[in-house]
Amino acid sequence: MRNPIGWAALTVFALAFFVFIYAPLFVIIGYSFNSNPVNMMVWDHFTFDWYRGLLGLADRSQDGAAQNRALYIESTDQMLAALRTSLTVAAFTTTISTVIGTATAIALARYRFRLKGVYNGFLMLPMMMPDIVLGIGLLIFFVTIGMNLSMLTIIIGHCTFLTSYVFIIVQARMAGLDPALEEASADLGASEWVTLRKVLLPQLAPGILGGALLAFVISMDDLVITYFVAGTGDTTLPVFIFGMIRRGVKPEINAIATLIILASVVIAATGLWLRSRKTD
Amino acid sequence: MALRRQSIVLSVLLAPVTLFLGVFFLMPLAIIALFSLLTPGLYGGVEWSFYHWNYGRIFGWADGLIEIFEPIYLQILARSLGFAALTVLLTLVLCYPVAFWVSRLPPRARLIFLFLVTLPFFSSLIVRLYAWLLILKPSGVLNSALLSSGLISQPLEILYTPAAVVLGMVYVMVPFMFLPLFAAIDNLDRALVEASMDLGANRVQTFFKVILPQTLPGIMGGAVIVFIPSVGNFVVPDVLGGAKGLMIGNLVEQQFLSARNWPFGAALSMIIMTVVLTVLMVSIARATRRGGQNA
Repeated sequence: MRNPIGWAALTVFALAFFVFIYAPLFVIIGYSFNSNPVNMMVWDHFTFDWYRGLLGLADRSQDGAAQNRALYIESTDQMLAALRTSLTVAAFTTTISTVIGTATAIALARYRFRLKGVYNGFLMLPMMMPDIVLGIGLLIFFVTIGMNLSMLTIIIGHCTFLTSYVFIIVQARMAGLDPALEEASADLGASEWVTLRKVLLPQLAPGILGGALLAFVISMDDLVITYFVAGTGDTTLPVFIFGMIRRGVKPEINAIATLIILASVVIAATGLWLRSRKTD
Repeated sequence: MALRRQSIVLSVLLAPVTLFLGVFFLMPLAIIALFSLLTPGLYGGVEWSFYHWNYGRIFGWADGLIEIFEPIYLQILARSLGFAALTVLLTLVLCYPVAFWVSRLPPRARLIFLFLVTLPFFSSLIVRLYAWLLILKPSGVLNSALLSSGLISQPLEILYTPAAVVLGMVYVMVPFMFLPLFAAIDNLDRALVEASMDLGANRVQTFFKVILPQTLPGIMGGAVIVFIPSVGNFVVPDVLGGAKGLMIGNLVEQQFLSARNWPFGAALSMIIMTVVLTVLMVSIARATRRGGQNA
């Protein structure tokens, strides 16, 4: 850089930017180890209690402080149920949206048909539509056709926009493939299906995996659509945390939030690793 | 390209997306439009008769009996547009220098910092907002630090203000602005920048006449991607905003989950949808014109 003072100023600004992004996450992690059960903003001493509570190892003996703590930990069962719902929903959503999104990407990249431009534009819409609009649209729709709100309606809601995300990622991978391989397969007498399964899909695998990973992460994190289309029985983790924040925060929330942050770091790192393999 | 003729395989590949999005995406959007023109029922629900006062309440015509025009709805709409525009501006001002800085780093450091920018995108939205609740509370991290350092004597009231809402939205939207900006800045033709300087333009002139026009597509892309989810946001104002931070998304949520006036909520969502589609169409038209000029 020609101007060292300008570069130094820019560096300071950039580092401050990264502090702004990461400091809030470290605040949560710090408070997750605070033992004060009544006022979690006041630091008492270091403890693993909230994590022990989440793992079902809470100390439920009868002395005063522990009793107080056990009171808070009662909601742990609900939290674990919410986590189970989230994982179930994300598993189904990932599978369905990956299959549909991949099929669509193949169709649009390898076939010529009249409505192709329309499909390409239309598939952008579910990603750009604000989630509150999609959420209430689905709510009115389900209620009008008499469909009970349940885990199924959550899965459907997630698939409506995640299909487009998978489509985009797989389509990007398709663009980098050499169609000559498929032509060779067809020339050597393989049927369309065989070419698809044995030649195209193996080459697409990293893109499909990347799309599936993204769908899983977004499904696990979706709050707004789930909030509108979840029945009373099925709460996902983000909706549960949202409810907790609205009702008044309990200290366990710091521990579960810390675990979510750790999980997302692992998933993001895996995603990056997949992407770096893709470019080989 | 190995383009093949239409076949059974094509129909099999396209049928799922057509059916699924047709039923669960297009129908819900159509039903919002329909409900926005229906009569609200007395105890929630709807009556299937035409009714235009859902819009009248918002835009200023009223029957004077049941539905009364309230300017508050237009104020909240204006506020939502304002907050979203401010979020675009602030994320741009924050990200532009940093994207410039990252693009000038050695390859390895570049990768690390790019990863650090995208990482929050993978971590939970509600958790990140909750962090700001801990920071901005009257008894929170920020006030404790400022009080103990003696800079202030009374806790600052930031939480539940419009400022907190905009801060929260900026925080959540940063990766969406950063990535398109970075792509544009990284593609900047440095020879042009050097030529401008060699020909006697100063730094400010070079920035406004050479760098800014070249990175404009990235700026526009980032602006659209940040503006659209901001304008209909209801989670950020719900967690961090008070009555003065209320946005149109919160109004929609109230109609569905507490006021139980679905047609009015549908009319409000139609406004969000219209804003979003307008922004999208204008940006696509601009991009196409730009592409046409270059060709």
